[in-house]
Amino acid sequence: MRTFLATTIIFAACEFSTSQAEEKLRADFGNDIRPLLNQFCIRCHGPEEQNGRMRFDTLSTDLIKDRAAAEDWHETLNVLNRGEMPPEDEPQPSIEQLKLLTGWLRTSIDDAVKARRKTGGLNVMRRLNRVEYQNTMQDLLNFQMNYVRDLPPEGLSPDGFRNNGLSLRMTALQLEYYLEAARKALDRVIVTTPEPEVFHHEFDKSNHKKWLQNPTISDNRLDRVSIFLARMEPDYPETGDFLIRVRAHAERNEGFGFPRMRVSIGYRPDTKVILTTALETDVKSSESEVFEIRGRIENFPLPVRGQSKYPGLVIHIRNVYDDGTPAPPKVKKKNDKGKEISVDPDEPDFPKLFVDSVTFDGPVFESWPPAHHRRILFESELRETNEPGYVREVLRRFIRRAWRRPPAQLEIDGFAKFFDSLRNDFPVFEEAMRETLALILISPDFLYLAEPAGKKNRKLTSWELAARLSYFLWSTMPDDQLFKLAETGELLNPKMLTAQVDRMIDDDRAWQFVDQFADQWLNLGGMDRVAISQHYYPDFDYDLKPHLRNETLNFFMTLLRKNRSARHFVESDFTMLNEPLARHYGIEDVLGYNFREVALPTESHRGGLLTQGSILLTNSTGEDSHPIKRAVWLRRRLLDDPPDPPPPNVPELASENPGFAKLSIRKQLEIHLEDPACASCHRDIDPWGIALENFDAVGRWRDEIRRADKEKKSFSTLPVDHQTELPDGSKIENPEQLKRYLLEKRGDEFARTIVTKLLTWSLGRSLDLSDEPDIAALTEDFVQNDLKLRELIHEIVKSNPFLTK
Amino acid sequence: MKSWHLDRRMFLKGAGAALGLPWLDCMAEDQKAKQESKPKRFCSFYFPFGVGLPKEDDKKAQWRWFPKGEGRDFEFTESLKPLEAVRNSVSVLGGLSHPHGRGMGGHDTADIFLTASELRGRYFKNGVSVDQVAAATIGKQTRFPSLVMSTDGGIGEPTRTSTLSFNQNGNPIPAINQPQTIFDRLFGTGDAGVKQQRRRLLSAGSMLDQVLDHSRALRRQLGVQDKMKMDEYLSSVRQIEERVKRSQAWLTIPRPELTDEDLALLHLESDDEAPHEYIRTMYDLIYLAFRTDSTRLATYQIASMGDFTTKGMKFPQLLGFNGTLHKLAHGWNKPEGAEDLGKWDQFMAGLFADFLQRLQSAPEGEGTLLDNTMAFYGSSNSETHNNSNYPLLFAGGNGLGLQHNQFLKFDEKTPLSNLFVTVLDRLDVPVESFVDSSGEMSEVLA
Repeated sequence: MRTFLATTIIFAACEFSTSQAEEKLRADFGNDIRPLLNQFCIRCHGPEEQNGRMRFDTLSTDLIKDRAAAEDWHETLNVLNRGEMPPEDEPQPSIEQLKLLTGWLRTSIDDAVKARRKTGGLNVMRRLNRVEYQNTMQDLLNFQMNYVRDLPPEGLSPDGFRNNGLSLRMTALQLEYYLEAARKALDRVIVTTPEPEVFHHEFDKSNHKKWLQNPTISDNRLDRVSIFLARMEPDYPETGDFLIRVRAHAERNEGFGFPRMRVSIGYRPDTKVILTTALETDVKSSESEVFEIRGRIENFPLPVRGQSKYPGLVIHIRNVYDDGTPAPPKVKKKNDKGKEISVDPDEPDFPKLFVDSVTFDGPVFESWPPAHHRRILFESELRETNEPGYVREVLRRFIRRAWRRPPAQLEIDGFAKFFDSLRNDFPVFEEAMRETLALILISPDFLYLAEPAGKKNRKLTSWELAARLSYFLWSTMPDDQLFKLAETGELLNPKMLTAQVDRMIDDDRAWQFVDQFADQWLNLGGMDRVAISQHYYPDFDYDLKPHLRNETLNFFMTLLRKNRSARHFVESDFTMLNEPLARHYGIEDVLGYNFREVALPTESHRGGLLTQGSILLTNSTGEDSHPIKRAVWLRRRLLDDPPDPPPPNVPELASENPGFAKLSIRKQLEIHLEDPACASCHRDIDPWGIALENFDAVGRWRDEIRRADKEKKSFSTLPVDHQTELPDGSKIENPEQLKRYLLEKRGDEFARTIVTKLLTWSLGRSLDLSDEPDIAALTEDFVQNDLKLRELIHEIVKSNPFLTK
Repeated sequence: MKSWHLDRRMFLKGAGAALGLPWLDCMAEDQKAKQESKPKRFCSFYFPFGVGLPKEDDKKAQWRWFPKGEGRDFEFTESLKPLEAVRNSVSVLGGLSHPHGRGMGGHDTADIFLTASELRGRYFKNGVSVDQVAAATIGKQTRFPSLVMSTDGGIGEPTRTSTLSFNQNGNPIPAINQPQTIFDRLFGTGDAGVKQQRRRLLSAGSMLDQVLDHSRALRRQLGVQDKMKMDEYLSSVRQIEERVKRSQAWLTIPRPELTDEDLALLHLESDDEAPHEYIRTMYDLIYLAFRTDSTRLATYQIASMGDFTTKGMKFPQLLGFNGTLHKLAHGWNKPEGAEDLGKWDQFMAGLFADFLQRLQSAPEGEGTLLDNTMAFYGSSNSETHNNSNYPLLFAGGNGLGLQHNQFLKFDEKTPLSNLFVTVLDRLDVPVESFVDSSGEMSEVLA
């Protein structure tokens, strides 16, 4: 018999919700299980023979007390799952019998494991993930840079999150790039060069013509095709902060959209144009306004001097407003010399952007060395009079912020010693300091949220609490205010905690929470993995994907900030839209690219996550809806009740039916269900997705399904078949009924799911049995509070798991 | 909430791993050895969900991945037609699989493609992959012990790995997925000049000592699970220490220079939105790494088994094929499906054949780069969800005593790891056995 350790694969792979497993599959050993063992196993594993040293008639069924028996039962589950037993030439149990048996095994083993846990609820030292690392470095050093370009992407935890301490591994490659990023940043943050020359440019006219393909219309008045170009050559900086001021106004007719200004910076080496966007915004006023853009010039593509065919750095401004129609065909026109050329016709209703002027200053700094330098190497006489003392003070201040706690004197001494040891090789003070600070930034105390504790749970310190809060709600390090409250201990006061949470939710950095949490809970990243078929949706614009995503993120944020009920996730009379998205949904009178609350007309059939394009598109094939994916999404994400993963060697759908491919997915699924092997699981899956069949792959309402023929020449149509029956017999005919059903019949599960997901995220670990009382209490409160999202967060940060290591 | 069936004992057992890789002290001797013996290389390529396998008498039989015939007397179908050009350097292997994978979930076997191991415990502990067994020895002879690449990057999740390579302890090695990052590692010199690099390497050495000292102190205050996390960190620090030493030794040896032609090959900016350029560039990077002898070992997972998570899922759609990767794979036995999938199989085989031809066109010693390079290509599903009869190609290495131009059919008694034993032997890293091997694979030997 193999060890327990060696045999847990299938066990862990079966994503059974325990409560559900218990309800559905709890079988009685004497009545249900023993007869099966007697029928199929006992001849070779009983009194007469003990093949594989396995004997069922004497094997204890008390898995909690008898650990050896638990291991044997576990091995049994494994061989059953792998189909290794009974042997092929022996009588085989039916699918139902097998399910009964494995269900009992799974629940019993589950119980045993639960009972054995002794140190539940401990948080594991958690490495900062990519996003947290990026945000933290940026805030710590007060310096914008891509810190994570080379860091490998991170996998998802079993709960679907990317901030789970156990799942976030460390590898040498990772550490190598942490060191590289720290050094690269510190090279720029701490300066050793004298105050640089500042360049100033002013442009009243687009000053460059031969830059793009001919004909390029270089102009101050920007329609669909023209461009404003401001070229700087040779006087532009290659490092440092810059400030661009664009003075511009809109020329538009009432009732039409606003021109949308995109300002980019880049150059043209040869045939390609390389640009990075610095700002994109609606320009609404017909009065001139000034738009200020600040950034680091090295974050933009810079030409290699002397190598470009088109030398110079260029500020490039376009009007990227899209009215949803293709550009009109070109018309012939005579130019100044009387020669006939093709030009784009004037479109009187297309909103125009008028660029009055552009200025560029760089590098800009309010003083030298710049602020980010002085934040670390602060000005002090000490540096001259007592260098060792100065070094220690620099280190103390830096470590306190980097490690999110005050350092011990011994720790400071250690780094100070390191600094001294470098001075021979690094004669310049700043260079040795950069190396020392880099060392602090590859220490585990920085890279991990460490809450050192022995075997027992303990209360968090105020410093640890500040870090937990900031990584929960901001995905970055605490700010000065949180640090201060940590230092005084005031943060431990529940009233202060509540006030801080409110402040944090209303702070801009809360977007970093929504951006990650909503993305991972709802799998919004899935949109990028679906390619939309150009054949089916020739007018689908890929630029719509970010808008779809933003609808969901803004929706989440609105519920959170306005303390609205999480019921809206299921059923809502409003959503968050901007102009391109409203056009996609067929909703009128939404102008401009900013997102705002829009009341939904009933006939839109929209409202709630299930009808948001982001979710519908993610769970499609790019050509058609994918009812199974949609169903699995709903069960996993809204009810925390994911179906079992497909077993090994899933039988293929029968292909004898030559017309199979031509059937609607609904009909294909019906045929699927005729196969009992499929039906046992799919009966509980398919109906959830079928209710959403009226939404196509890109999330638009449809009354018929289009199906392309093999040669992709024409489309045939099929009626939408959206009537379905849920496993409990409830008849569902449309999305509205599905939503009502979810709120009325599955409301508690839904509430519990939200609690579970948020709590999991806030802790950065998977929940376990010891959290059960807290989950129950939080859920009860949540339901009583009408599922108010902000209230829930207040309760979570006051809950025992959140305040305890 | 799915994970309270976590057993602490299972978790711990996997963690007390031995740390660090052996470091070879004498670089000069290595350099000498390198000049004397010709480089021997090995690279592996993986794609998920299997291939089209209509029956041989089916009217779509030309889209059956495996060739017609057997042994020397075989004929490529449409699916592998692009390999005709390099036929003398390719063997098609049929019937092979990893016995440990046969009972695993239909999407779970990518993790063990190069390890042949059983995934153990709650955390699906894997074994060492064949490339890393070789890297422990021949990896010392080059600037980089091995190159680990994939489309999804990182390590992914257990049973949905996004890397093919696993270290001596069975821990996944993160794959790099951005061509620019790979290029910079191989050929870039970074921002700093040599002088600064040298100073920083020296300081990195003492930096890591300092970190180790400090971390040990922190470790003493930790509970059991935290200690494991800390050990993972400490092990990473030690590995970088070795790398730092290695880099010091290599600092005086200039990085290989590439020609304009080489550079023109590469689309370093390409990503998963432009699959053709992207996959090709990844292949090209391996070719350049080999040609410049920057490394002799490479793995590349072209897409992962994460059916809802791999960026590779949309590749066929973006290229105008009829559906996502998973959909194509599922359709192989549906009317029309065989051809849809077959065309994709052919496209993929074409990219692999291009890579082999590029190796073949580069002279090395008396022969070509391909003669000294073994390339292993395939999937751990035959058709989707089926974990036996892997579709496999074994190519190159004609100068290493291998023979090709054959379609070998094996039965289930032959474990795939026999091939790994032979590969390691040809790389001069002889092993008694590899996991469940029962011998070597003499059929591929000349």
